Amino acid sequence: MKLAVVVQRYGADINGGAELHARYVAERLSRHAEVEVVTTCARDYVTWRNEWPAGVDRINGIAVRRFPVRHERRPDHFGRLSRRVFDHPHSIADELAWLDSEGPASPALVRHLARTAADRDFVLFFSYRYYHAWHGARRVPAKAVLVPTAERDPAVALGIFGTTFRGVRAVMYKSHEERAMIHAAAGNQDVPGVVVGVGSEVPAHTDPARFRNAYGIRRPFAIYIGRIDENKGCKELFAFYQRYAATFPRGLDLVLVGSAIMPIPDHPRIHHLGFLSDRDKFDALAASDLLIMPSYFESLSMVALEAWALGRPVLANGRCDVLKGQCIRSDAGLYYERYEEFAESLYSLESNGPLHARLGQNGREYFVRHYEWPVIERKYLDMFARLKREEADGRARMPMERLPGWLSRRRRDQPAAAELLAAIPSGAVMPGRDSEGDLSQSA
Amino acid sequence: MTDFSVRSDNVDIEQIMRQIRSRIREKRGVDYTEDEIRELANVKLEKFLDPRGVRSDLLEQFRRKREASLPPAYNFEDTTLYESHRGWLRFLRRLLRPILLMFFNPNVVTNALHMQSKLNATQAALEPLYYEVIHNLVLETTRLGIEVKNLKMRVESMSSRLDFDERRARALEGVVQYRPGAVPPLQPPGASGGADRPLTEAEQAERRSRRRRRRGRRRPGDRFDGAAGPREQGPRGGRGPEGPEGSGGGEGARDHGAAGADTAEDRGGARESGAEGATGTGDSWRDPGEGGSGN
Repeated sequence: MKLAVVVQRYGADINGGAELHARYVAERLSRHAEVEVVTTCARDYVTWRNEWPAGVDRINGIAVRRFPVRHERRPDHFGRLSRRVFDHPHSIADELAWLDSEGPASPALVRHLARTAADRDFVLFFSYRYYHAWHGARRVPAKAVLVPTAERDPAVALGIFGTTFRGVRAVMYKSHEERAMIHAAAGNQDVPGVVVGVGSEVPAHTDPARFRNAYGIRRPFAIYIGRIDENKGCKELFAFYQRYAATFPRGLDLVLVGSAIMPIPDHPRIHHLGFLSDRDKFDALAASDLLIMPSYFESLSMVALEAWALGRPVLANGRCDVLKGQCIRSDAGLYYERYEEFAESLYSLESNGPLHARLGQNGREYFVRHYEWPVIERKYLDMFARLKREEADGRARMPMERLPGWLSRRRRDQPAAAELLAAIPSGAVMPGRDSEGDLSQSA
Repeated sequence: MTDFSVRSDNVDIEQIMRQIRSRIREKRGVDYTEDEIRELANVKLEKFLDPRGVRSDLLEQFRRKREASLPPAYNFEDTTLYESHRGWLRFLRRLLRPILLMFFNPNVVTNALHMQSKLNATQAALEPLYYEVIHNLVLETTRLGIEVKNLKMRVESMSSRLDFDERRARALEGVVQYRPGAVPPLQPPGASGGADRPLTEAEQAERRSRRRRRRGRRRPGDRFDGAAGPREQGPRGGRGPEGPEGSGGGEGARDHGAAGADTAEDRGGARESGAEGATGTGDSWRDPGEGGSGN
């Protein structure tokens, strides 16, 4: 089987969510198929400046073919267009201009996909909202498998993406909440889809004592791993934790792992360790009592999965639908929406040994059942087999919808995307506890 | 100390969260989110404030009236009187202006209207600030109303707890009071040989058996199992004194403790005071107040 993985950026040192997800999937699927990664020469996701040379490269044994980006992103222009399509009635032409402005616009990449489509069984497009995925999926719809990595932002409600969600062969969702949101936004229930998520390389053995000695952390602690950013809910976390620490002077410390782009309170029980190597990170996680995930928006928290893999319960922000849904489905984490719940939940995890142990065990089982790499690989391979069977049976697939004509495209009849998004139901999805990876709909 | 027990292999996170929330509600009495407070401030203000003094739809009316009464932005300059979209008319007016000046002085009117337009602009700029101040005041008043209500509930809870403690103290005093002939009066050390005299074999055996009997009377519910916390093993939650009032008090202590002060903050305060800092045994794991090792 020959596969192409198409993603906006690709590199061993790129740790962005979708890009890392794409790399993990490419490397894992390369054990079962011949995989080529098709990407751009960009390294920076804000400017899309061409920084890597065009051509073929090899990263961790995978062939990576890079194409130049036609133009860099102009933030002012992109911001103006974003306001137009998100907040005001607009036209399809406006949305296409927004897509082009967002980038990374690489017509050469799309041409290459169209040219080589016949040689490939399937093309996996990562991140629905970028140029490469929209144009690429329209050029090779019969081979297109979409990994949307969608978050709850207005882009998902733009009219142009509805055609992509409805026109690809299959959609590989990261979470139940993502699937519910895309179903509501695009009405693509007929497209084969599966909640697959992403696995993680969790070491078989960790050494908590080594971490404690290396970083001088003696007391029990809760850990936060990720970018220390207001957008990740860290401001609220600090405020809540400081109140909690004042109430429980000998309670858990808070250890922060990750680069900081906001000030960290000067508190004797808050320890910022900066960016850690994978080994240190996993040792720290193993040494911790629990992981705190204060983020409001996550399409899938890999670090939460890693904590569960190591038997650590999670305390998550309940306003993030995905995290809340995962906590409930796994029975391996508590969640909070305000300080009182934060304090009570943290205290419960801290002081109730049987509860802590049970949630940790549930988390480990949940990870093994749904997020270990063999499970993820199997879901991808099953989907490919299913699509091949359908092809062999001659079952008709929904054709990719055509864009309206030149004049209709310029008619301002598209409602503001933010309004459409507000109408899409939110909240954690509660299917059967064991149906994390069930196929959503047969074709 | 914690709110729920884990007795079986299955835990239900939603149920645990419901329990946590109900605990918080029990403690706080009223449980509002920020959005709910805003909604209350806009709609149901009369529940918290004097309905005769403040209108519940004050903000809405303020906003509506302001929008309705806003005059169009009108700039008045010295040429405004003579302006016209017709060029020839504008020219004619300018031409005849000296003649007009012979009848009256329009410059005074122009100056006054110019000043007025500036005042209008200043006022228009200030109005949103007034609106914001009023809005914030209404929100704050609502919040304070809720806070007062919560504080009242806490005071009630504290006073009932105080009543109970006083009753319990009286019961304990009744139990330990001196009864002539029952127990020999306390003697200073060395005053009689009895206190320091070594116990005989029979007396030691009697003490041991008494201690065993006391242990045997402990109920299984006194064991810390995750649902019951150290507070419930501590002095307040333990069995009451054996007198008629005391035994009722012991049960009351357990009930009262569960309903009155089970949120994390209260527990922290209790731990700080040291009165309830006993750690659990058996299934208990680690009390944050004790700062045990983590892994």
